[in-house]
Amino acid sequence: MLKNQLKIAWRSIKKQPFLNSLNTLGLAIGIAGTLMISLYIYDELNYDKMFADADRIHRVNVDAKFGGPAREMSQVSGPMAEAILNDIPQVEQTLRFRPWGTASLSTTDSRDLILEQKTAFADSTLVDMFGLELLYGNPKQALSGPNKLIITETAAEKHFKTTEAIGQKLVLNEGDTYTVTGVIEDLPKNSFLKDYSVFMSMESYTDQYLNWGSHNYNTFIKLKEKVDPADIAAPLQGMMEKYLIPYAQEFFPGITLEQFEASGNYVYYSTMPLTDIHLYSNRDTDMSQNGDINNIYILSFIALFLIALASINFMNLSTAYSLKRSKEVGIRKTLGSDKSALIRQFLTESGLITFGAMLIGIVLVIITLPYFNALADKHLEFPYFNPIFWGFLLLSVAILGLLSGSYPAFFMSKFAPAKVLKGVSGNTVGGSRIRSVLVVVQFTVSVFLIIGTLVVSQQLRFIQNKDLGYSKDQVLLVNNVNRLGNGAVSFKQDVKDLASVGNATMSGYLPTPSYRSDSSFFLEGKLSQDEVVNMQGWRVDFDYINTLDLDLLAGRDFDPRISTDSSAIIINESALKVMQLSPEQALGKRIFNGIGEESTNEYTVIGVIKNFHFESMRQVIRPLSLQLAPSNDRLIVKLNSGNFENAISQIQELWDAQSPGIGLDYQFMDDSFNEVYQNEQRLGKIFIIFTVLSIFIACLGLFGLAAFNAQKRIKEIGVRKVLGASVSQITYRLSFDFLKLVAIAIIVALPLGWLAMNRWLEDFTYRTDIGLGILLAAAIVAIAIALITISYQSIKAAIANPVKSLRTE
Amino acid sequence: MLLELKNIFKWVNSGGQRIFLLKDINLSVEEGEFISVMGPSGSGKSTLLNVIGMLDQFNEGEYQFFGESVHALKEKHRANLYKEYIGFVFQAYHLLDDLTVYENLEMPLLYKKFKGAERKAMVADMLDRFNIVGKKDLFPAQLSGGQQQLVGVARALISKPKLILADEPTGNLNSKQGEEIMDLFKQLNKEGVTIIQVTHSEKNAAYGSRTINLLDGRKV
Repeated sequence: MLKNQLKIAWRSIKKQPFLNSLNTLGLAIGIAGTLMISLYIYDELNYDKMFADADRIHRVNVDAKFGGPAREMSQVSGPMAEAILNDIPQVEQTLRFRPWGTASLSTTDSRDLILEQKTAFADSTLVDMFGLELLYGNPKQALSGPNKLIITETAAEKHFKTTEAIGQKLVLNEGDTYTVTGVIEDLPKNSFLKDYSVFMSMESYTDQYLNWGSHNYNTFIKLKEKVDPADIAAPLQGMMEKYLIPYAQEFFPGITLEQFEASGNYVYYSTMPLTDIHLYSNRDTDMSQNGDINNIYILSFIALFLIALASINFMNLSTAYSLKRSKEVGIRKTLGSDKSALIRQFLTESGLITFGAMLIGIVLVIITLPYFNALADKHLEFPYFNPIFWGFLLLSVAILGLLSGSYPAFFMSKFAPAKVLKGVSGNTVGGSRIRSVLVVVQFTVSVFLIIGTLVVSQQLRFIQNKDLGYSKDQVLLVNNVNRLGNGAVSFKQDVKDLASVGNATMSGYLPTPSYRSDSSFFLEGKLSQDEVVNMQGWRVDFDYINTLDLDLLAGRDFDPRISTDSSAIIINESALKVMQLSPEQALGKRIFNGIGEESTNEYTVIGVIKNFHFESMRQVIRPLSLQLAPSNDRLIVKLNSGNFENAISQIQELWDAQSPGIGLDYQFMDDSFNEVYQNEQRLGKIFIIFTVLSIFIACLGLFGLAAFNAQKRIKEIGVRKVLGASVSQITYRLSFDFLKLVAIAIIVALPLGWLAMNRWLEDFTYRTDIGLGILLAAAIVAIAIALITISYQSIKAAIANPVKSLRTE
Repeated sequence: MLLELKNIFKWVNSGGQRIFLLKDINLSVEEGEFISVMGPSGSGKSTLLNVIGMLDQFNEGEYQFFGESVHALKEKHRANLYKEYIGFVFQAYHLLDDLTVYENLEMPLLYKKFKGAERKAMVADMLDRFNIVGKKDLFPAQLSGGQQQLVGVARALISKPKLILADEPTGNLNSKQGEEIMDLFKQLNKEGVTIIQVTHSEKNAAYGSRTINLLDGRKV
């Protein structure tokens, strides 16, 4: 029986190749898109969950306002971990990371430097807290004691050509020598440690700022079993009064917690579960690039929408073409088939189609997964051998098939044989209002997504084109200049003298990602702690302002002929604002870096520069100052227009002359700038892909509906034609009803899209406006797409020969 | 002469064989004639009517209509020609279900771009002439078959065609309703309208001035 049913189902599917390929294609794309998004979401939701005691591990955060703007940090002060362990009995273990960024490593017998992108100093509890498996080495001692490090397999292979690297030596940044005491497996790709390859023992790190006022350590705690993290909130906050205030009293004798808070400052400590970090943490100094729970919501919505759309389309298309099968239904019924047998037959067909769509969808996912991975910077794998996945997929597809197939099956099985056999198909059509609503919903979402795509790309363009306050074009960054040692200065001079080079400056501080140094400054006459100015202190040379094209508002640039400039300082507009000075007033003012400390420095303001964007556009431009001081991490080279390759090869020659054996490492500032907005660019691309998919599926639906409509009105069209209607009149008549629906969708979607995307933009301090243009563009795109989709069916119906539709025999 | 068909052939290819629907049809129709086309099912009556009405193409032969060579015209011109000069009456009436009697009558005028006031006058005229003023706001489903066909004929006449083509106009009607429609045709013919009807019934054929018999696509 089933075999017979399948055979007949297959035959009738083959009989309508156009309809059924549309159906299968729509479902396949819907399934593929949903599957892809599901894999992505599953991966995102499972970040850091692979660690054995993940549910007991939390990170300590601090929100602080202490002069200058408020900051939300994921790093706390160095002594805090120990204090927590001593004072809070519910805490079983603590672990600190001191991220060390990119490090160059060399073996002792070679000068060849190999870069590791992410390194960190870590407490010896690292191995135990995260349950890391050591391939080689003793887990208890791997990180206890100075000058020890553990390394991942891949990194070990890179440096030593073997993973059995215990006892090998590595020189870090051409300084201290470390012994490899542990080799671990590569860290999981969906963990916050994914890109880290080398951990040095914390005892090797000497921190001159190991105090309660400097926040430089990503600190993790493991709670004892069955401890509610809320229980440690109070003692955690208590640390402020117990430790931080006494520390502050060293500089502000007698200050109390009340006084501190009364001046509008605050310090709040909190904890965040390890497993929440990836999706919920958006703090300064997170250890890795995080995701965003909002993106998960958006994608879940898109996934549901894709599959729902595909299913709706299936129903629409099947019912649209069902009139062609009404005769078959009539004949079957007169031959004695009952309704349920017909329903079974139709469900077999839809099941077969859904199953085929699933296979195609899976193939699509497997083919496109590498591209998607590259786009989303993911390492998703197709779970070929996961029985739960397959079970879930088959179940979902079965439900999908039943849902999609049931409506057409019931719809068609209701045809009355006497009527359909006489060829009176007339008013068998119900539920047209439902279908209209569905079209409105489909297009509302499509228009919404179009608006999203346009706004994201406009914001990205805005960022690209915004006047940054400095010039990043034709700027080459030469890294690791400090490795030239004393030769750095002459290297800079040689580069600057090249004809192809406009200017060059040496500094580790850049408007694109680089060093940052936040410290406390005080304006003369305002030396109390509530008047502290938190300001970036950048160390630059004489050519900095000219090379980067910074604008001076008042005063002058550093001048090599003026010896007192060694204690001069140039500040930006934001600093002025905090100090409540006009540019002219500021000139000549004295500024102190710290007070009461031995290291207190005194500076005189000689110039004021316009604000320039040295952080992401999400953030407001903070106070910043430039001082003349050696910082020879990078050489920033402004190239003249023309042949860049030539200029680079000239720089390469100069470099090789100074430093045989060490490769020249450089990049363009443009690229470095763009990396900051990778997340947005990625979101933009993902948006585009799924918008296109959604629109495509929505169009399949509209296409089906247009066909349905044309067929339903075939007699009317015939009569109208015979009575003199032209093709264009009929096309217009058939299209107009749909355009009305699309218009309603646009009216619903525009305000929704406007609201939602404004909320997205609110994340950016510097942002574009959603003008009428974008809304108009979205509306026009939707109408155009709808029109193209409908017109095929409408025109086809309009040019059909009325003789065929009016035949009564 | 209103129209003339010369050596008209029409065929379809089916399973490698050429099946003739019309075979060497010659026919000339003068203005004011009332012609009945008869023949058994499948003899090509409706096909012939469609060819005359320019709704269907033929494969070979010549067709002169009102001085124009239809076979040489482009599709668009052909459509304009029949829209202007020919009215159609169908066996199944083919009124539009969603429109009232009034609106059904008005529709051809809309397509011929008559002004509002003119349309109103012409529809009112037609309602009067067919005695269906009281029915003007009813929908087709609220009328009897005879009344529906009455509206169908009125609609065919409203734009004052030279020729009415009627495909079994009484096929769906009972004998009394049928008689009324045939009387109406007779009346219209007296007023100068040329009519070609397809019919199965000798009795209806007798209303006409001339009968053409078809068998297997051939005039007999």
